[in-house]
Amino acid sequence: MPEQPYEPDRAIAGTGAGGAMDLAASEAQTLEKTPGGPEGTGPQAKPRSLWSDAWRDLRRNPVFLVSALVILFLVFISLWPSAIASGSPLKCDLSKAQDGPGPGAPFGYDGQGCNVYTRTVYGARTSVTVGVCATLGVALLGSVLGGLAGFFGGVWDSLLSRTTDIFFAIPVVLGGLVLLSVVTSNTVWPVIGFMVLLGWPQISRIARGSVITARQNDYVQAARALGASNSRILLRHIAPNAVAPVIVVATIALGTYIALEATLSYLGVGLKPPSVSWGIDISAASPYIRNAPHALLWPSGALAVTVLAFIMLGDAVRDALDPKLR
Amino acid sequence: MLLEVRDLHVEFRTRDGVAKAVNGVSYGVDAGETLAVLGESGSGKSVTAQAVMGILDMPPGRITGGEVFFQGKDVLKLKEEERRRLRGYGMAMIFQDALSALNPVLSVGDQLGEMFVVHRRMSKKDARAKAVELMDRVRIPGAAERVRDYPHQFSGGMRQRIMIAMALALEPALIIADEPTTALDVTVQAQVMDLLAELQREYHMGLILITHDLGVVADVADRIAVMYAGKIVESAPVHDIYKSPAHPYTRGLLDSIPRLDQKGQELYAIKGLPPNLMNIPPGCAFHPRCPMAQDVCRTDVPPLYEVSEERGSACHFWRECLHG
Repeated sequence: MPEQPYEPDRAIAGTGAGGAMDLAASEAQTLEKTPGGPEGTGPQAKPRSLWSDAWRDLRRNPVFLVSALVILFLVFISLWPSAIASGSPLKCDLSKAQDGPGPGAPFGYDGQGCNVYTRTVYGARTSVTVGVCATLGVALLGSVLGGLAGFFGGVWDSLLSRTTDIFFAIPVVLGGLVLLSVVTSNTVWPVIGFMVLLGWPQISRIARGSVITARQNDYVQAARALGASNSRILLRHIAPNAVAPVIVVATIALGTYIALEATLSYLGVGLKPPSVSWGIDISAASPYIRNAPHALLWPSGALAVTVLAFIMLGDAVRDALDPKLR
Repeated sequence: MLLEVRDLHVEFRTRDGVAKAVNGVSYGVDAGETLAVLGESGSGKSVTAQAVMGILDMPPGRITGGEVFFQGKDVLKLKEEERRRLRGYGMAMIFQDALSALNPVLSVGDQLGEMFVVHRRMSKKDARAKAVELMDRVRIPGAAERVRDYPHQFSGGMRQRIMIAMALALEPALIIADEPTTALDVTVQAQVMDLLAELQREYHMGLILITHDLGVVADVADRIAVMYAGKIVESAPVHDIYKSPAHPYTRGLLDSIPRLDQKGQELYAIKGLPPNLMNIPPGCAFHPRCPMAQDVCRTDVPPLYEVSEERGSACHFWRECLHG
């Protein structure tokens, strides 16, 4: 934190105009800022907001920096995989099946003689797309529906709660087998759509709960007593106080969506070859774990690192959004 | 009259039954006047204020009768949008616990400035300047620097000053302060109360001071309304009440203030508990706890007898009480 000298004289002088020194003096001692407090910026400084403060915090958080770097790298190779991997992930040579590392193939070859390095790099696109899009869809749909139900209550709330109950009753894998087996398109979009369809109730329940908790806070009633409208109360007073659990659950869910894509691909209803995905590679390599562990290790490792990076990011963001932890 | 509440009834429908929180409350405040509403927890003083402000949670709350005239208009008949515009501009409220009444994720400057952004459509920068000005007005040292701090970084007294600044922001005609000093240290209580009284004089506002602390009231209030079980049991100018109460409940409250000249003696306490609002005793609601209760108190609800032109008491035996 950049140190800026605190000037008690200047701070007190501000009240001199009102001739109120006597009244305020006894409380003035309690006002001395701790060195850890926000720096006393000049009056000309730009107004700060919750988000700019959170950003200021995040920039100094090593956990955030590491996970953000990992995620940026993942996004980069998702967009331009050819930048770090030459050749096509579909170019396989059976004569090299299960071979160890060699020139141009630092991770070795899998059971079909495909280059594990190239496939792992190209697989990031699928995982990141599925994870990010499914999470965004789920978080958006879930928090809007859950938030509105929690805020307005009554009939809408009951309706939403019963609907989520119905969705919770659907087993994810069975639902995937039934719904995705009729899909012929071999892209990520049906998989993402399925995850959003089954995933939103989880977030909506959490959003509903945290909105109900936040709604009962005195400051919401105070804002209402000072003339704030419903939309302002919801967006400015409730949402920032209710968003933290949603962010945390969503980032953890992001990891599970990436894993779920792998599961569905393993079962043959997610993506199918010739698509490239870590899930496909993990399922293809798992029978040969004794002969060619490297073919399983690298896509699994990439999956684990990706999931971990998103969870750590979620954690760091949650901490930064809570001013009480500053 | 700036504000006039007439025969207000509020009830709460709960799973266990109907709680009658406010049962025919009438009071009024003029511009520049301070009315103290006194009563124990559950006497309906806060619920009345919430109904006046229009921030009662409905459901479970329900206004079942009465009128609330503010600047000549019955606000209970206004549309929600019109009422919302009245809040902040026409009337504002100060809450008991400023730590929980301020949004923890917004800096105090943002929250103060919001008043101007919402109601006056000011730019963020101008609103920020106004926020600093307001913080100076309520004498927060170093306002220009502290405007960026968060509520939890202030002391209790300073937070309550910020709450007051928020209520004052748009210079409303009426301020309702719901136990504004209860959560504060005694020394800070006096400072905050003095500040509130001074600002009220300056802006010529009506002030409704809700409290259970008779000590707070004496210096600042013009009139006192004592509430019990959702009714006003005594209403009088402040000096009359302190000189000689006209209701045994008021007398009980006054007698339970610790006094220096009675050091060492046991403190007087009103025996019994406040009534269950789902099952208010018939007749005078106070009769089970009243030292002066007679048979008539158990059957007949006392009206608000006129003690003098400015004074009323809902006790069948107000004369005995006044002179005993």
